[in-house]
Amino acid sequence: MRRGLAAAALSLVALAAPQAHAGARNATEWLERMTEALATLSYDGLFTHTAGQQSETMRIVHRFEDGRSMERLVSLDGSGREIVRTAEEVHFYMPDRRVVLVEQRNDEGSLLRALPAPDSKLDELYTLDVRKGSKLLGRDVKVVDILPRDVYRYGYRLWLDEETAMPLRSEVVNGEGKAVEVMHFTRLEIRDRIAARELEPAVDATGYQWVRAGKRSEPSSANVGWRPRKVPPGFKLVATRVQVLPGVPMPVQHLIFSDGFASVSVFIEPGPSKGPSPPESTTVGSANAFSTQIRGYVVTAIGEVPAATVRDFATSVAPVEELAVPAKPAPERPDR
Amino acid sequence: MMPMANFPPPDGSTEPHEPRDEAGRPPSGVEQSDLELVRRVQKGERGAFDLLVLRYQHKVIKLVARLLRDPAEAEDVAQEAFVKAYRALGSFRGDSAFYTWLYRIAVNTARNTMASRHRRPLDYEADLSESEQSVVESRMRHGDTPEAVALTDEIHRTVNDAIGALPEDLRTAILLREVEGLSYEEIAEAMDCPVGTVRSRIFRAREAIDRNLKPLLD
Amino acid sequence: MTDQIREQMSALIDGQLPRDEVGLLVRRMARDAELKRAFGNYVLAGESLRAPGSVLASPGFAARVSAAIGEDDGVEVVAPTVPARATARWRRPLAATAVAASAALAAVLLVQPDGGEPQQFAERSGAPVTLPVVSLPVGGSSPTPGENQRLAGYMVVHGQYATPIGRRTVWTNALATDPGITRVSPESAEAP
Repeated sequence: MRRGLAAAALSLVALAAPQAHAGARNATEWLERMTEALATLSYDGLFTHTAGQQSETMRIVHRFEDGRSMERLVSLDGSGREIVRTAEEVHFYMPDRRVVLVEQRNDEGSLLRALPAPDSKLDELYTLDVRKGSKLLGRDVKVVDILPRDVYRYGYRLWLDEETAMPLRSEVVNGEGKAVEVMHFTRLEIRDRIAARELEPAVDATGYQWVRAGKRSEPSSANVGWRPRKVPPGFKLVATRVQVLPGVPMPVQHLIFSDGFASVSVFIEPGPSKGPSPPESTTVGSANAFSTQIRGYVVTAIGEVPAATVRDFATSVAPVEELAVPAKPAPERPDR
Repeated sequence: MMPMANFPPPDGSTEPHEPRDEAGRPPSGVEQSDLELVRRVQKGERGAFDLLVLRYQHKVIKLVARLLRDPAEAEDVAQEAFVKAYRALGSFRGDSAFYTWLYRIAVNTARNTMASRHRRPLDYEADLSESEQSVVESRMRHGDTPEAVALTDEIHRTVNDAIGALPEDLRTAILLREVEGLSYEEIAEAMDCPVGTVRSRIFRAREAIDRNLKPLLD
Repeated sequence: MTDQIREQMSALIDGQLPRDEVGLLVRRMARDAELKRAFGNYVLAGESLRAPGSVLASPGFAARVSAAIGEDDGVEVVAPTVPARATARWRRPLAATAVAASAALAAVLLVQPDGGEPQQFAERSGAPVTLPVVSLPVGGSSPTPGENQRLAGYMVVHGQYATPIGRRTVWTNALATDPGITRVSPESAEAP
């Protein structure tokens, strides 16, 4: 049964297993409830996504049935692009290019999911807090704060509907408390059932090119010959790989650092044959990137962290033989 | 310390990945061919050991250069490690991969060298240096001469250029093998061609690189 | 004939030479400095690809090791030799195709410079797929199209391994008309 709703109001249907109000007591529990809600409820909503100067309005339809989820994300601002996640695959429709890109789905519950499962170590780097917030969209909300203890990372603020734990609003905030990225629902319906046709793309893909991408390759512990001399506190190297990218004839070396919440990638590729170019800062949505040239290689650090952090990563990279002792025999790339 | 663990995604989701445990993992093609070469050395074929040196010389020198305070000695110490390995080969039983065994010998040789000269191993925090100048100097010390350093740079550039000039099918094949670590079978599947074609493409790519390197290194 | 031997050397490097061919190859190489030299270069190519710019053995190193050993009597076998192991039937699942998932998405998202070549990459089943060229108007604060390309590719790869928020950035950018890559002035980047 579906209730009528006002444009800016949140509509709820009695859920089969109603959540207890007083269920989750602390921030971590609320975050877990939120992740679960995004994955296991069925809903249809409109939200605005703002990052830097860009703002997009999108519609999300999410269906959870028989233990499996399907999802559709549509851009409403003119590109007409859509993403449809079926049981096995992700289809990315691009009407402006008359292309559908097909990838294998690697399950995340929902494309909107923003946060990893918090682990116990997080407490060292972030303070977590939950408090009652003023109403949003006419609903009672809890505000969850995940605030960094230092300047090297961003903070997160989430407004969760008290009854369902759905994030009505979420922000990525910088050191001055200013939001660098906002996701905000202007309309959200949580339903018992979503009709199959709501998950069908509005795009008529007749005559489109269907391009199937290969599987995501596993990060191998490739022998990347570069390391940052100084890694900002809390970040650990979690993987090294070497990546072949289209249009780049040589493989690009890739280091992945994470503090358990945010991550930073450092890419090293052979530089252009022309002269050196000045270091450059760019923003990509809420992510920051910093590029510089070191010994004729272009080093780029990119991640959802403040600009100074990616700059620190990129500028401190050096060839490994100039640094210190290796810890133990590196497990070699799996040779065959 | 720089752990090089297999990647656990930060959100805790599990992705399939191959077991890293040496005891549990079956030997790879390269490990098996190493063991075959070792077997031949043990039977008296010296030539087989030359191939092992050729295969691992760069890795061992890189490793030793990192451990020594004075990288100029890296090649001497690496040479000592290889000689020790040769002499100890009779007692190598194949419990571990050959390179793992060689790695330990190289580390021990380097540590012994430093100990015999009453030197502390390189201390990460204390020896951090921001200046480009000192970094260039340490590379020069390793190579012993500016010419040697320039040669290394030129070798890398030559390989880079040679790769860039390759026809796409050869380039893809060698990159998938050397950089992505795929087996011939996996490459065959990726490139949709027979295994024999993969073997031939990789060979022709190497030949092209060799042709470019030859004038440089003669 | 020489080509065949050299191809065997290449296969040996990859651990793909059948056991019964190894012996003959080793003996041939022992007699032929040119073959050893080529083998050394094949190995060097791999090292350079994996770690460009890194330290390398100087050209005479292997010969010096051989000379140092030459003073020796040979290996004394004091234990049973390494037992031959049967080839394992275990097979790792295919990790990557010629165009990784991220690369395909990056290629599709990439901004083509005006008049550039259309991106080509192989579809799984065979014939390469050519995408129509689309160019993005370059605003005053946007990096050049070439830079955009590189960053878009990096962002996609980062998103694959990043935490979920990184992945979300990738998808929302993918849906947007304008990838939202903006150059930042150096002064604002200096902020602590």
